[in-house]
Amino acid sequence: MTTLNASASPAARRTVRPIPQGRNRFERAMWLFMRFSGLALLFLALSHFGFQHIIVGTHRLTSEDTIVRWGLAGESITISQLFWRLYYGVMVLLAMLHGLNGLRQVAYDYLKNKTVYNAFMAAAAVLILAVTTMGVIALIVGVNASGATAAITR
Amino acid sequence: MSALISTVRASLSYRGREGHWLWLLHRVSGLGVLLFLILHVAGMSSAFISIEIHDRLLEMYKTPLFSIGELALAFGLIFHAVNGTRIAILELKPELWQKQQLATRLAIIIVVLLAAPTIIIMALGSINAFFGPAAGH
Repeated sequence: MTTLNASASPAARRTVRPIPQGRNRFERAMWLFMRFSGLALLFLALSHFGFQHIIVGTHRLTSEDTIVRWGLAGESITISQLFWRLYYGVMVLLAMLHGLNGLRQVAYDYLKNKTVYNAFMAAAAVLILAVTTMGVIALIVGVNASGATAAITR
Repeated sequence: MSALISTVRASLSYRGREGHWLWLLHRVSGLGVLLFLILHVAGMSSAFISIEIHDRLLEMYKTPLFSIGELALAFGLIFHAVNGTRIAILELKPELWQKQQLATRLAIIIVVLLAAPTIIIMALGSINAFFGPAAGH
């Protein structure tokens, strides 16, 4: 009777492959991370999108805007540039990790072959972490306009 | 591969009403936003290497292919944000599951209310850039 009930419960039917016991602590942490990073990104990503993509608009975007917000490499930065660098730094880290974990959950559901899954996730993690590192370096260094004097006339 | 195909086919044919479609769209929009995010961060961070490369990549953002993709991004981002909020609230307060049908409808209404003006403003901006008096710059 109990086994019949257990197999008939919605939870048992929904879970195709139960999470391995050893990974429960990690999965719990990731579950929490997805909620908190999602809440932060709700404000960060939507405000960034609203400002840069809707109010400013991509068609009006030039590298001068990037210089205004990030500052030039080798020069001291203003308070507003520090704000933008921190804003983008927090956003890029949260968004990339949120995306990497989301991708892992989707890949876990569709790539049933363990070797294929591991290879795919290793490649995805390397790519995402490399791009994230590049973004963080750019935010620490600032815009490199050493080879172009025309762009810094203002 | 056949397992992948059968899983995708099953997720398309399973009829779990709106909730099922929201679940599927949450995954698709999440993957789409992630793809854009990788291209976007790689493109923007080129600024620390050389401003010439950065300028060239910004010009690439202003091409029709990117403009169309940006509209899809706007919808995907807004949908993922609103639906993610719905999921988080329902998981935080399980007693609200009695009203999950209402939550689903509410989420769809909020997505439409946010995405429609966004897409219209962005599409008009693109039309103006490609066909307007200042086009060709």
